[in-house]
Amino acid sequence: MRKRWIAAGVAAVALAGGAAWYTGMFKERANATQASNGEGSVELAAYPDRVYWGDTHLHTDNSVDAFGFGVRIGPEEALRFARGDKVTSTTGREAQLARPLDFLVIADHSDALGATKRLMNAPSVLVRDPTLKRWQEMLRAGGDDSVRAVAELIDAAANDEIPEAMRDPEANRQATQDIWQEHLRIVDLFNEPGKFTAFAGFEWTLMPDGNNLHRVVMFRDGAPTIGDTLPYPGLDGEVEGLWDYLAAYEESTGGGALAIPHNSNLSNGIMFEMRGPDGQPMSEDYASKRARWEPVVEVTQIKGDSESHPFLSPNDEFAGYGVWGWELGNLPMNERATPDMYGGSYVREALKRGLSIEQRLGVNPYRFGLIGSTDSHTALATADEDNFFGKHTGNEPKAERAMRGQNLGTRQGRFGWHYLASGYAAAWARGNTRAEIFDAFKRREVYATTGSRMSVRVFGGFDFGENSFGTDWVENGYANGVPMGGVLDDRGSAPSFVIEALKDPEGANLDRVQVVKGWVDASGQTQERVFDVVWADQENRAAVGSKVPAIGSTVDESKASYTNDIGAAQLRTVWSDPEYREGQRAFYYVRVIEIPTPRWVLFDAIMFDLTLPDEVVKVVQERAYTSPIWLLPKSDDA
Amino acid sequence: MTLEERARQWVREPLVHFLLGGLLIFALFAWRGEETDPASRLIDVDRETQAQIALQFERTVQRPPTDSELDGLIEQWVREEVLYREALRLGLDAGDPVVRRRLAKKMDFLAASSAEAVEPSDSELEEWFAANAARYADKSTASFDQVWFAQAPDTDAVTAQLQSAGEDWRSVGEPVSLPAVVEERQLQAVGAQFGTAFADELAAMEVGNAWSGPVRSGLGWHMVRLRARKSESIPALADIRQRVTNDWRLATAQSREDQAYALLRDAYTVEIDR
Repeated sequence: MRKRWIAAGVAAVALAGGAAWYTGMFKERANATQASNGEGSVELAAYPDRVYWGDTHLHTDNSVDAFGFGVRIGPEEALRFARGDKVTSTTGREAQLARPLDFLVIADHSDALGATKRLMNAPSVLVRDPTLKRWQEMLRAGGDDSVRAVAELIDAAANDEIPEAMRDPEANRQATQDIWQEHLRIVDLFNEPGKFTAFAGFEWTLMPDGNNLHRVVMFRDGAPTIGDTLPYPGLDGEVEGLWDYLAAYEESTGGGALAIPHNSNLSNGIMFEMRGPDGQPMSEDYASKRARWEPVVEVTQIKGDSESHPFLSPNDEFAGYGVWGWELGNLPMNERATPDMYGGSYVREALKRGLSIEQRLGVNPYRFGLIGSTDSHTALATADEDNFFGKHTGNEPKAERAMRGQNLGTRQGRFGWHYLASGYAAAWARGNTRAEIFDAFKRREVYATTGSRMSVRVFGGFDFGENSFGTDWVENGYANGVPMGGVLDDRGSAPSFVIEALKDPEGANLDRVQVVKGWVDASGQTQERVFDVVWADQENRAAVGSKVPAIGSTVDESKASYTNDIGAAQLRTVWSDPEYREGQRAFYYVRVIEIPTPRWVLFDAIMFDLTLPDEVVKVVQERAYTSPIWLLPKSDDA
Repeated sequence: MTLEERARQWVREPLVHFLLGGLLIFALFAWRGEETDPASRLIDVDRETQAQIALQFERTVQRPPTDSELDGLIEQWVREEVLYREALRLGLDAGDPVVRRRLAKKMDFLAASSAEAVEPSDSELEEWFAANAARYADKSTASFDQVWFAQAPDTDAVTAQLQSAGEDWRSVGEPVSLPAVVEERQLQAVGAQFGTAFADELAAMEVGNAWSGPVRSGLGWHMVRLRARKSESIPALADIRQRVTNDWRLATAQSREDQAYALLRDAYTVEIDR
């Protein structure tokens, strides 16, 4: 009995000491977070004077599919690579970015975080489920077997057939918590205010019937604020559950979080529906929550581009970039797409639908800005054509990757060459900190590119004219108008836009700058029109009717090279809407088109001495899409 | 060495932390011995355990569980506990690579966790910073003025224009949204905005108050006045203290794991059959 008392005494003292130690640590961490969030420690510009480049959608070995596809490098390597260090890829190739990124969101799938890694390492006698057992063997075999195991796993997820042992969130709880805390720790460690911003995040992988409703969740805060919050599981969820989770997070911690939908092109029309998810007319509550929590959409990435489809935009000769293969159906191809689905799958149509819903409800659920990102599953964020590390480790550079059938489409018309080396997120911000870049996303002062780093500025207003390009034109733009992502109230006269595009300093010249306008006409129908507003060699390249002729091409396919003998380094104009009607509800976004350049498949063709069949798209015109500026009728002010 | 100094040294000693950690665990086991004994067939789901279970749930779904949900969770917890104890009884923990790795990881964590909490002293940090200074070297910076032209301008004409413009030099080039005046920007950042070829030119150019060029960039042509250039320098510790502390902590955690392991390893004789 006495022994017991002594032991208890020792324990009590030790515990008290431990508690003091713990509280001390907590305080220190809280201070560390304020510093690591860059609030106060970084000098900020008076207005967003620089564009920062990033990827908000990168997977590492903690993602259930990425690990299965074979990646064996994790968040730390991912962060080192993004900030410019040389790392060794899973397949043993050295990889480095010619130009580092300014920010990165590591977005591993919240469902079964780390599960394939655990399944492979689990003692086989304890794996009873026959499916899991087979997958474990395939994972251990590695290489193509491993890739096939994950293709089966994604199919199972899409068809709601994931074995119970793997999907039970309680069973995965402890593992998730360990991996998540480690994720937060590493992200904080690599976040360097003013130099490189590392965001905590995860991917929420909702996929009813195989239709892609995935979102990336991005936090404004570091580990001390995020604290006990765990990533939100997605497979069985509903999108309103995710928004409630985000709201609860902000309320309980005072932090910030947002969600970024992506791959609407693989949703078979359900990403941007006119109705609510219950099939009833969309409610005001749903519309305002969506507008609040999803301020930007990822419009372009490795699994295709979702700006528009030729079926929806027959008069736009640049529509349909990177829809090859992806337009055929949903993610696992368990349902083919039909053209009536495209409206809910592509972003331009969603922006138009938003106007129409707003006319009825008074709230626009689809008032979102645009970004690009990679969705790379290699832990390497690259969107460069000449440095493309593929969608996943199974298609890192090697000879057969371009023509291989892709199991994600269970060999139904999707091939390696359909993958795009795309894209990046560009943010106009006052400095490179979590707070500044997150807030740029919130106010939609962001744009998407398909991989090149052109710089694009837009201001919309009513007082801009011919002489709006003085030395202080950017300051003037902020003072007398709104930047991309902003909203204008109709003043009874046509809005004008100050637009400037500068080429990627290491890349190709620019072909043209366009304004894409969408509006609701007097009869309530949505309309769209693409205006060429300024282009290279304008003196010699006159518009025929309303179309500017194609710029031609300098690409030498045999060398995967091009020259900047055509196109312009800079294009700028002040453009006023010639079709303005008072009271019209409209949006305007800018699309910048580069001159033709070789795709990654041509670099592969040289590296591996390949002859590519005719159907392979080898040359493209890369582009940037800005967030829109909206014009609201006066009646909305009331 | 005064007693106080000696005590302070002891407080910093990783071995002491390690032993204290071990003592803590020992004490905990001694205190609650009977209850967590895997041989026992009594499972007591006390209030504290229930609170922990409820908290876990709350962390995931951001609300406390309902009574029936909590009952379900407790039932699940009990099931896990029963199976866990039976697994121990059957010796399933032995020879299981995952259990083995997990426990080993916990030992590492115990050794490293003391480093997580400790704030390095100034002298400790300074010493470490001095030894690792190279990795904090700031890259070269340049301060310059520039005007831009889409096509190569006539050098003599544009130089004359710039000279006669004086303070008004900004009006000489064509309008572009590149900064006309750049202060102490790292050459790498200059390269990101103007192209690396331009940054390379700046690295080689003569510093002074004269305009030179035209210099070609990824965006066109520039007349440049390179006012100052600083070569690579080591920043003051005070300016990057947070970053250095992070790195020190990572390195310290690593070395404490190694030290703790070395200590334990010494007590073992390892024979590897050849």
